Amino acid sequence: MASNEERSIQFRDDDFRLIQEDIRIMDTKLETKPTTFFKDALRRFCKNKSSVAGFFILAILILLTIIVPIVSPHNIDLVSSSEKFLAPKLFKTGTGFWDGTRAGKHIVYDADNEVPALSDKHSVESIRQALVSLTVEPDPTYIDNASTYGTGGVIVFATDAAVAGRDAFLQSKPAEFTNKGDYRVSIRFSDEENVSASKLGEYAVYLRYGEGPEDRIMIRDFSRDYSDIDFDITGAMNEQNLKNIYAQLVFDLRGTSDSFRYILLKSVEFTGGERAKNLEELEEIGFTDATDMINNGDPNSPGYWSCSGRKGIHNSEIYYCDYVIDTYMLVYGNADPRTYSATELSAWIENGWCEYDYKVGPESFVKLSDACPLDEVTDQTVLSVTKKLSSITGTSWNYRKLGYDKMPQFILGTDVSGFDLFKRSFAGLRTSLILGICTAAFCFCFGLLWGSVSGYFGGNVDLFMERFCDILGGVPWIVVMTLCILHLGNNFFTFFLALCLTGWMGTARRTRAQFYRFKGREYVLASRTLGATDMRLIQRHILPNSMGTIITSSVLMIPTTIFSEATLAYLNLGLQGLQAFGVMMSANQQYLGIYPNLVIFPAIIMSLMMISFNLFGNGLRDAFNPSLKGSE
Amino acid sequence: MGKYVLKRIGLAVITAFIILSLTFILVKLLPFERPLGDDSKQIAYFDKQYSLGYVYRFDRPMPQYGEHLYRSPAVKGVSNYYYLVPVMEQYVNWLRNIITKWDWGCSKTFQPNVQASVIIMSRIGYSIRLNIISAVVSVPVGILLGIWAALKKNTMTDHIISTVVMIFISIPSFVLISFVLRIFCYNLGWLPSTWPADTASTAAKIKGYIIPVFCLSFGSVCGYCRFVRAELCEVMESDYLLLARTKGLTRRQAIVRHALKNAMVPIFPSILAEVISVLGGSMILESLYGIPGIGKLFILSLSYKDYDILFVDMAIFTTIDLLAGVVLDLSYGFIDPRIRMGAKK
Repeated sequence: MASNEERSIQFRDDDFRLIQEDIRIMDTKLETKPTTFFKDALRRFCKNKSSVAGFFILAILILLTIIVPIVSPHNIDLVSSSEKFLAPKLFKTGTGFWDGTRAGKHIVYDADNEVPALSDKHSVESIRQALVSLTVEPDPTYIDNASTYGTGGVIVFATDAAVAGRDAFLQSKPAEFTNKGDYRVSIRFSDEENVSASKLGEYAVYLRYGEGPEDRIMIRDFSRDYSDIDFDITGAMNEQNLKNIYAQLVFDLRGTSDSFRYILLKSVEFTGGERAKNLEELEEIGFTDATDMINNGDPNSPGYWSCSGRKGIHNSEIYYCDYVIDTYMLVYGNADPRTYSATELSAWIENGWCEYDYKVGPESFVKLSDACPLDEVTDQTVLSVTKKLSSITGTSWNYRKLGYDKMPQFILGTDVSGFDLFKRSFAGLRTSLILGICTAAFCFCFGLLWGSVSGYFGGNVDLFMERFCDILGGVPWIVVMTLCILHLGNNFFTFFLALCLTGWMGTARRTRAQFYRFKGREYVLASRTLGATDMRLIQRHILPNSMGTIITSSVLMIPTTIFSEATLAYLNLGLQGLQAFGVMMSANQQYLGIYPNLVIFPAIIMSLMMISFNLFGNGLRDAFNPSLKGSE
Repeated sequence: MGKYVLKRIGLAVITAFIILSLTFILVKLLPFERPLGDDSKQIAYFDKQYSLGYVYRFDRPMPQYGEHLYRSPAVKGVSNYYYLVPVMEQYVNWLRNIITKWDWGCSKTFQPNVQASVIIMSRIGYSIRLNIISAVVSVPVGILLGIWAALKKNTMTDHIISTVVMIFISIPSFVLISFVLRIFCYNLGWLPSTWPADTASTAAKIKGYIIPVFCLSFGSVCGYCRFVRAELCEVMESDYLLLARTKGLTRRQAIVRHALKNAMVPIFPSILAEVISVLGGSMILESLYGIPGIGKLFILSLSYKDYDILFVDMAIFTTIDLLAGVVLDLSYGFIDPRIRMGAKK
């Protein structure tokens, strides 16, 4: 098969040339860039976009915690309750969003002043000034209780629950009637049923002019007739030959033993003819508006009706409104006039802040400097004896009185103490961060020491140290914290101590595991053979390799600490004596229903911090993890 | 194996004993608070403490004890004086009382003279019920989400799930509760903003469970999901799964028969431990939502300075924590035949 055919191969001389004859062979430089472990970790961390984003958000937040408490001029130490619960304001008023306004829905409407009924806290003028928009609901709502802002309705006059079976009286203030005044009274009832659990009752109406049982002009005797009454008082007086009486109108409601009775009264009006002298007085005694009558609680006023049973209101008309109000104008506005003494004014004039001549009057006021607290003079009081100025009344911006140069602006609003929420949040976060950094630093150092001793030496030392960790680690952190706080008080040091007590074990355990992993490696053995000491082995060969994981766990301890502080605050064990984030949040928790911004904004800041810490930590962990090297 | 189990349990019991002893001593070292309630209750409290061996009794003032001598209210003009027994002696008496009578002490100010065990038993039911319901909800949801994310690894679904999980795992529980309360109770008004009373109707009670269960399970769902995804992803890249596919199994068969089974090995024990450890209840949730469980009891006994109750409550948390650790360790050995717990070589 194989041919034995001969082949001739010819080699020439230049086939055997030495190709490296002129080149000196030695180590060449590596063509790739040399890198260290940390440089490589940094490079891989930067590849992870979300972690870098987390890092930047974190950096911004940390910068804010440093800058805001120093730069912000707002006070967070002295309670200023007039400034409490201001709405968040970032943009100018009128933009409609985040502009310091607060909307109210379905709030009672004060029809007399044409403002929402908020006047128990603020004056009507300031509400009117601060009002941005107002929508009154077109249909009234009917309520069965007496509201200051209600109108109309009917009076429910009932026998007293406490004394069943006895008659009840409802009587007006007395007034004078003569036989020449053409006095009349008109009474309107309502016979609506099922107003209350009891039934409509039997009643009588009369004018009582004396103490005796016969000293009365009967208008309607006991009956269940609820039709309108128009009664001629003067006519009845003439019939009984009465000339001049001083009488009061009495409703007598018959009590029954089985259940309580009531009648419904719409109005009682007294009128008189041309010769009646006391028409105005009579008008006041009767009532046309049942709600007003019920609201009149002053027994000395002419319109007061005394009652031996119960009087209540039914179907009182009330309007609700939706409104938007500028909370800053409400608190800092210039609607309320204020009075200043002449001495104050003369001090301002001396300072050159303004000019004023009381002989000319309020028009002579000229404002010369912004420092002058007064903007306009509306009135002045001159003493009649000495002809000297005693006081002036004028308007001025309320914020001046509260110590501001211009209208203040709180980005996140204010809390119950009138503190700026923005500044308080970051001041609290600063405390938490300092606590977290201190704790993490301590735990890092101590845990590293403990873990490296335990991991490097192993054996009985390790066993003993591990058991110790087991027992201390078996105590829930909340128990350790509680016991520390109960024994040592809620101060910064206690928190630091308690958090360290529970925190270092994590680092120690991690360090120990890393030491176990690396101490048997060949390069360690090689170094040991060359006579390296324990210290050198740990410092040069084992520690640098395990550093990444340990650093990551220590960084992630900071958010854990912040979280612990907040959790304890919710358990009423919060940090006292310093601005603390958790304490602020848990204190604001009760306003979640009315002023959600007080909880939501700090919650967002807290969550942002936690999220970015976690992103950052995850990136760090991946970057330091040698097993992930090159897998991307 | 049996030896290891015994050793592990024995170690846990010893740890628990040491922790409880230390906690007891530390709690007893706190300043003494006078009992509350009317005179007869105070006298009963002091008598009980005397019979249990925690105080000395004298029938006349002992000036050498100064302000640490406590006077009980007078009966027929005679009152007794009490002085605290030294802490270590109280500790010995306490151990004896527990062993002989199962007496863990009684409440002083919160519900005077009621046995601590009675108070705990009356409240632990709420916490356990709530946590079991939330575990029943969160375990399947968490595992399914995790599996879904792992199967769709590096797709949009996975990114969305992972991002949401990461965000919600970072948000503290009280923040989540605040938001949920704000939205569902105040803005929409669908759910009650506090725990319904025991007398409420069944419908109201069921409604009252929604928010706590939601808030409790949210964190765990995220935790389980992240864990399951990580484990399953690791298993999916293993060689035996590649072999399974090469020998002709479909993707579904390979995942169900090989990947899931193996991924569950580390997942199952930690879920079990997690379920046990949350039995202690969430203190913040219980206090914010007004649930009468043992987490709320912790806060109440703190504010009443009722340290005996506080101690028993803390003892429960400690025991549950240790129990969870034991279960975690042991279940590894039972589930995974490859792991021989405590084996020498």
